[in-house]
Amino acid sequence: MDKYGSEPVGAAAEPAYAQRELRNRVQESRAVERGAFDLPFFLLTMIILVIGVVMVLSASFARAYYYEGDATYYFFRQLGFALLGVIVLLVASHITPAFLRRISVPAMLVTLLMLALVPFIGTGAQEVGANRWFDLGFTTFQPSEFAKLTVILMFATMICVYKDQMKTFKYGVLPFAIVIAVTVGLLLLEPHLSASVIIIALGAIMMWAGGTRWQYFAVGGGVVAGVGYLVVTKMAYASSRITAWLDPWSDPLDTGLQTIQSLYAIGSGGLLGLGLGQGRQKYMYLPEEHNDFIFSIVCEELGFVGALLILVLFALLIIRGYWLALHARDRFGALVITGITSLLAIQVFLNVAVVTNLVPCTGISLPFFSYGGTALLLQMAEMGIVLSISREIPLRKSKSDDGREK
Amino acid sequence: MAKFKGASGQRTNKTILGRTLVLALVCGIVAFSVLAAQLYNLMIRDHDFYEEHAVSQQTRTVSVSASRGTIFDTNGSVLAKSATAYTVFISPYEIKYYHEKEYKENEIHYNDEPTLIARELSRILGVDYDWVLKLTEHTNSWYEKVAVKIDADLAQQVRKFKSENNIVGVYVEEDSKRYYPNGSLACHVIGFVGTDNYGLEGIEALYDSKLEGTNGSVVRLVASNGTEMLFENYQNYNDAIDGNDMTLTLDVNIQSIIERYLQQAMEANYILNGGCVIVMNVKTGEILGLADANTYDLNSPWGLAQKVQEQIAQIEDEEERSNAQTAALLAQWRNMAISDTYEPGSVFKIITMAIGLEEGVIHENDNFYCGGSIPGGTIAGRPTDLDCWYHAGHGDQNLREAAMHSCNVAFANIGLKIGAKTYYDYVKSFGILDSTGIDLTGEAAGQWWPEDEFEGPYGPASLAAASFGQTFNVTPIQMITAVSAAVNGGYLMQPYIVREIRNEDGEVVYSKEPTVVRQVVSEETSALVASILESVVGDEGGTGSNAYVPGYRVGGKTGTTTKTSIEVGENRKEYMVSFCGVAPCDDPEIAVLMVLDNPDQESGIYVSGGGMVAPYVGSIMGEILPYLGVQPTYSAEEEAYLDVTVPRLIGKGLVDAREELGSLGLKFREVGEGNTVVAQLPVAGAQVAAGSQIILYLTDSPPDEMVPVPSLVGMTVNQARNTLQNLGLFLDTSGASPSISGVTVLSQAIEEGQEVPYGAVINVTLVDRRNQGEY
Repeated sequence: MDKYGSEPVGAAAEPAYAQRELRNRVQESRAVERGAFDLPFFLLTMIILVIGVVMVLSASFARAYYYEGDATYYFFRQLGFALLGVIVLLVASHITPAFLRRISVPAMLVTLLMLALVPFIGTGAQEVGANRWFDLGFTTFQPSEFAKLTVILMFATMICVYKDQMKTFKYGVLPFAIVIAVTVGLLLLEPHLSASVIIIALGAIMMWAGGTRWQYFAVGGGVVAGVGYLVVTKMAYASSRITAWLDPWSDPLDTGLQTIQSLYAIGSGGLLGLGLGQGRQKYMYLPEEHNDFIFSIVCEELGFVGALLILVLFALLIIRGYWLALHARDRFGALVITGITSLLAIQVFLNVAVVTNLVPCTGISLPFFSYGGTALLLQMAEMGIVLSISREIPLRKSKSDDGREK
Repeated sequence: MAKFKGASGQRTNKTILGRTLVLALVCGIVAFSVLAAQLYNLMIRDHDFYEEHAVSQQTRTVSVSASRGTIFDTNGSVLAKSATAYTVFISPYEIKYYHEKEYKENEIHYNDEPTLIARELSRILGVDYDWVLKLTEHTNSWYEKVAVKIDADLAQQVRKFKSENNIVGVYVEEDSKRYYPNGSLACHVIGFVGTDNYGLEGIEALYDSKLEGTNGSVVRLVASNGTEMLFENYQNYNDAIDGNDMTLTLDVNIQSIIERYLQQAMEANYILNGGCVIVMNVKTGEILGLADANTYDLNSPWGLAQKVQEQIAQIEDEEERSNAQTAALLAQWRNMAISDTYEPGSVFKIITMAIGLEEGVIHENDNFYCGGSIPGGTIAGRPTDLDCWYHAGHGDQNLREAAMHSCNVAFANIGLKIGAKTYYDYVKSFGILDSTGIDLTGEAAGQWWPEDEFEGPYGPASLAAASFGQTFNVTPIQMITAVSAAVNGGYLMQPYIVREIRNEDGEVVYSKEPTVVRQVVSEETSALVASILESVVGDEGGTGSNAYVPGYRVGGKTGTTTKTSIEVGENRKEYMVSFCGVAPCDDPEIAVLMVLDNPDQESGIYVSGGGMVAPYVGSIMGEILPYLGVQPTYSAEEEAYLDVTVPRLIGKGLVDAREELGSLGLKFREVGEGNTVVAQLPVAGAQVAAGSQIILYLTDSPPDEMVPVPSLVGMTVNQARNTLQNLGLFLDTSGASPSISGVTVLSQAIEEGQEVPYGAVINVTLVDRRNQGEY
């Protein structure tokens, strides 16, 4: 497979591909043949979104009532963002991959600028001990969320540029490592460990998909593991989380509190759960119940069956995402879908892994579920981008008219 | 793979395709499988563990106290009942939490609220303002008691304050409180409960498990901040089962009669230690009344009498004072009638007599010569003379006379005739060796000699002393139970005080029927014993004459003993005086035993059961027998000395009034002029001594003034009546019959110096002191 580029069949395809690339550069406005977007992916997204918004209502009403004096305080905000998110998704589904490719580098630079500024002019120090948000007045915006998307676009662009050179260290590792190092370096300035972990994982997945030799992953994995070890042992706040992970009951009222309360919620759900809205842990027992720990409430109220159903929906969405990647018309599209789908998978996995105490506790929200406006809008935009790319997948792939596959 | 190659019209790198497929596998399937496995572990495998912990933190269990059962007397009048009381508590956590939120929204200062709560609660409940304010500072707490056992009215005021001011964190909780409507009446029988409503003494303690009921609970879900969850209706009620109601054999009317006379007896005789009275239905063993002189208010059982408090306050050492306090409380709660033993003295002669008659070793007309003593050495084991209380000796006497004389020599000889073995067996049969098993707490048992010692070579000395009730101990309840058996036809009954227990639905869950422990003597023996006891009281020369009640066939036996040196120490002498009466003697129904511990010998009153106790037992009989519906039969002589009920004369013509009073044997004097009675003293219905002078008002009303009561003690009936008459007061008598010449006033119901309205009737207890002796 790595000899693809020198194969006669591949060589024959090269001119058409190059021609399209050229055409894209010369005449952006001229759209390639674009059809309807992928309906299963869209529907799965919408189903998950609806369930997520309903769960925000269920998980948040107690806290909203006691602290905000209005049981639907969080719900209506989230509902508003969800409706806006659908519009964003539909708009994004018309953004062409070519445009994305064109803005990938400037977007990366803007992201880095924002990441550099957020520790100084951002907010959040009071709530979480690090400035991670820009306060836009009506809502807040977290540049690290944006960074995840721009890293995907950036890496997809780079992989398309380097193509076969991806196998070399010089092109296949070094530029990527530099982008990751700079981005993560800025994130650690905040500090923002969970975003850093996601960026690293995302970057690695992009590189993996892009063709970087697997040997480098072994080396890179070792480096990350070493750095990770240093971080968790040297950074007090990280190491206390490791302790709380291994034995939450060692400090049940402080570091172990979230995990214990989350496990109580999940464990007490049983097979069928207490019923939607009937959960009890949200009554100020479980912190962040409408946010990072919303899945615990899902488990408590909908039970093992309900939680599994939601995981299956996510899995279907992700698998459909990879299916679209595999069928994407071009490499850039495929890589962007892979990146977005993988990001979704990482977020879902890490979130559920955190609330079930599979991994140490860290702040990772659950896509489409966790309360948070800008994050939801961004996720909807990402889904829109996937759908946009899906528009370029030929309708009847098996009836390729050039017949070369016969 | 070929498919993908073909599918990608603008072909992507094969590497990308392959690796994407791997990603799809890992991210889409493997990762979710791991999560599903973990969820299975938490939600299915370890579900019970987490659920238990979650529920335990999410629920609050509030106890619902069961209402303690009511205790009724035999007529259904309430002796002890529980009423709903309330507990007020605050939740400082909620006060703070709620108002922090309010503070943000309305800029109310958090501090305003505790101040308001403290001020209002201290105003309504009378608690200390600063103390409540301090409680509100315990902001980690959800439960701080402010007041317990408050009544409904105050609880309502707190609720009103709460709702009017929209207060959060102040709660009123239902609780129950024990009320004893009669205060100290029958305190030693009823007993009392502690603050937690557990019975601590008496019936309350012994039947605690029957009375207390079962507390219920309400389990409710609470939010982490302690408030109730929204939209959550989950509440698990566990109804409280109220305690059982209980009916005693005790009669409050009889009880108040005996308590009144016991107090009089205590004061008139300068009793230093204690005293008790028991009234028993001899046929059933039911306790109709049981009193102890050391009364205390059941509504405040931890309070001591003023006199005792003052004594204790004088103790300087703190530890000693605290010990004295405890000792005083225990003494106050101690039920002498069943917990203390005493030497019964001559009252026990009833038992000796019954044994002798039943065994046929003595007969009514046998001669029992008394020369004043039995010489030392005559009785094995007794080197000293056995003296009769009447040192001159009673001479020749039959059994009836020996009993009337309470002759020690005669009864020692009867005992010796019976023999130790037989005597011991009978004593055992009479229940003297065991406790009676009465359903009250703290019953003691009698103290008798070991059988082999009593029946051994030196046993006769013990037997002789035992025959007239000395050198062994019994409890008052044992004594009255044994006497009852001797006169009721021969049946030893088990005394009891709880007749019936009913559950909250009114179903009878326990019912006590009279229990015959055994038949001890025959009906013939029993009838003869009763007849002889009647002679002791009623016949001329009987030592129990002070217990005589005109119109009733009262029998009885006196008892006077000196305590042993073991009890009081060398060179000291303390007496125990008692009287056990039975009536009516032709078919005995009730027995009354009064025991007084240690009359003050410096008072100058001759110490004897006949002089000190019999008048009061007589007085008690005189009130109880009519109350129980026993019809009196008076002799003509008695009629003349009977108390008379004053008729209603107001509105009657003077002539008619005079005639009516004359027919009743009452005198009269007129005040004012006219032909119609407009007022009278004493009022209609009052009981006055025969020969009293009624005042008839023909024009004016009687003076509305108070008169201090004079001392009547020691006066004859005529003296007392005249003394009172001069002051505008009237006499009414009980105790020894005024028909006996020479009876004097032993005590008066209203103390000297106390003010009573003009025209009041003063009751006195009379005593016949002609026959003095330690019998």
